[in-house]
Amino acid sequence: MISFKHVNKHFGDFQVLTDINLEIKEGEVVVVVGPSGSGKSTLLRCINRLETITDGELMVNKKLLNSKDTNINDLRKEIGMVFQHFNLYPHMTVLENITLAPRKALGISTAEANETAMFYLNKVGIPDKADSYPSQLSGGQQQRVAIARGLALKPHIMLFDEPTSALDPEMIGEVLDVMKTLAKDGMTMVVVTHEMGFAHEVANRVVFMDHGRILEESEPAAFFSNPKEDRARLFLSRVLNH
Amino acid sequence: MDFIGAYSLGNLLFLLKGLGTTLLVAFIAIIFSFLIGSILGILRYAKIPVLSGIVALCVEVIRNLPLLLIIFFTFFALPEVGIKLSVTMAAITALIIFESAMLSEIVRSGLNSIEKGQIEAARSSGLTYMQTMQHIILPQALRRMVPPIVSQFISLLKDTSLAVVISLPELLHNAQIVNGKNVNYVIPTFLLIAVIYFLVNYSLSLVARRLEIKERTNRKSTGKVLPAKHQAGEMMQ
Repeated sequence: MISFKHVNKHFGDFQVLTDINLEIKEGEVVVVVGPSGSGKSTLLRCINRLETITDGELMVNKKLLNSKDTNINDLRKEIGMVFQHFNLYPHMTVLENITLAPRKALGISTAEANETAMFYLNKVGIPDKADSYPSQLSGGQQQRVAIARGLALKPHIMLFDEPTSALDPEMIGEVLDVMKTLAKDGMTMVVVTHEMGFAHEVANRVVFMDHGRILEESEPAAFFSNPKEDRARLFLSRVLNH
Repeated sequence: MDFIGAYSLGNLLFLLKGLGTTLLVAFIAIIFSFLIGSILGILRYAKIPVLSGIVALCVEVIRNLPLLLIIFFTFFALPEVGIKLSVTMAAITALIIFESAMLSEIVRSGLNSIEKGQIEAARSSGLTYMQTMQHIILPQALRRMVPPIVSQFISLLKDTSLAVVISLPELLHNAQIVNGKNVNYVIPTFLLIAVIYFLVNYSLSLVARRLEIKERTNRKSTGKVLPAKHQAGEMMQ
């Protein structure tokens, strides 16, 4: 479903991604971990072309991402994205936040979009907040709205860019629970996170990155009990023992 | 000081006529400079190759010239190249040129103040650039622009008095003519036009404040004043 082949990315002289090779199959949950500045978020953002790759081949849903023939707006409708800082639209209600893209990008009617929005708001557990503004919600609620907003496009892939990093500790659980349910439903998910518990429990595969390279790719049980790379071992000892 | 003589019916009507010219010139200049300034601001924000650069250059040059110089230019210099404008047209043109440049900067910085995450959220959900502009950037940016735009309009209204140098018959110009009749009229007349300028401009800022407060309460509302279109969602719960 997503396939990186020898992908490189530069920001000017600085190489952010080096020779990335990664295959993600339909229904897989892949968690990307690694120290800050290792290129995890950039890797994720390449998948819906919020960042363009410098060279190599990146296929998403059988479409070449850096080809002129690919309509990026059409491709983006198949990929939902959840951001660290939620990025809800502050001037719109929760319902309007969720229905904007379905109405304007997919062109479905307001009534149908509202119905879909309420379905996903139920799924993330806050249907009573439909008419609230984002500023009236807690961080955890905002992030759940953001997930509902991503799902409302009925995407094939969901991308999560550190979805719990900006949350108060007591709100992390409610967001992770929604993501776990989503994973159980068979959604293809790529998750950049520091939540090792989530990676351990939910991921099919853990990808460890450092300095723009993928250093290790293993099943979570193997990765957490016996990481192959020294760098991964060091990283785990730092994030797990505090 | 001769208040009674200065405030004779003839003088008052003459000053009111000046106020009429001031308001007319300011009104036309506000409409056009707002339109042109918005377009220039958006063009500069959009970073279109070459075009945005040219706009930036023009805006920077105009913004750094005194308005008085531009008024002299439209009235005395343009006829030299065959463009002859009446006093009123020259004043309006100068104001539009200057204020468009000022407003374009307000528009541009308002657009720039929208967080990148907002645009990324919209674009990543498949909305086009124009849709993102229309639904996400402009509505939020416009709200932030209202206070600086209104203070720019107030500046513009006051700056119409600079056109006294090309004898535009506006409020200050007519006040000077009244003063010319009798030296005892000077203080009463200046006091009166000061009050007039103040009242007009202060009511403009009151309108702006009203808009701001309305905006703030709308956003913080707890669902009590929601427009009817949201009701569909409630019914489905």
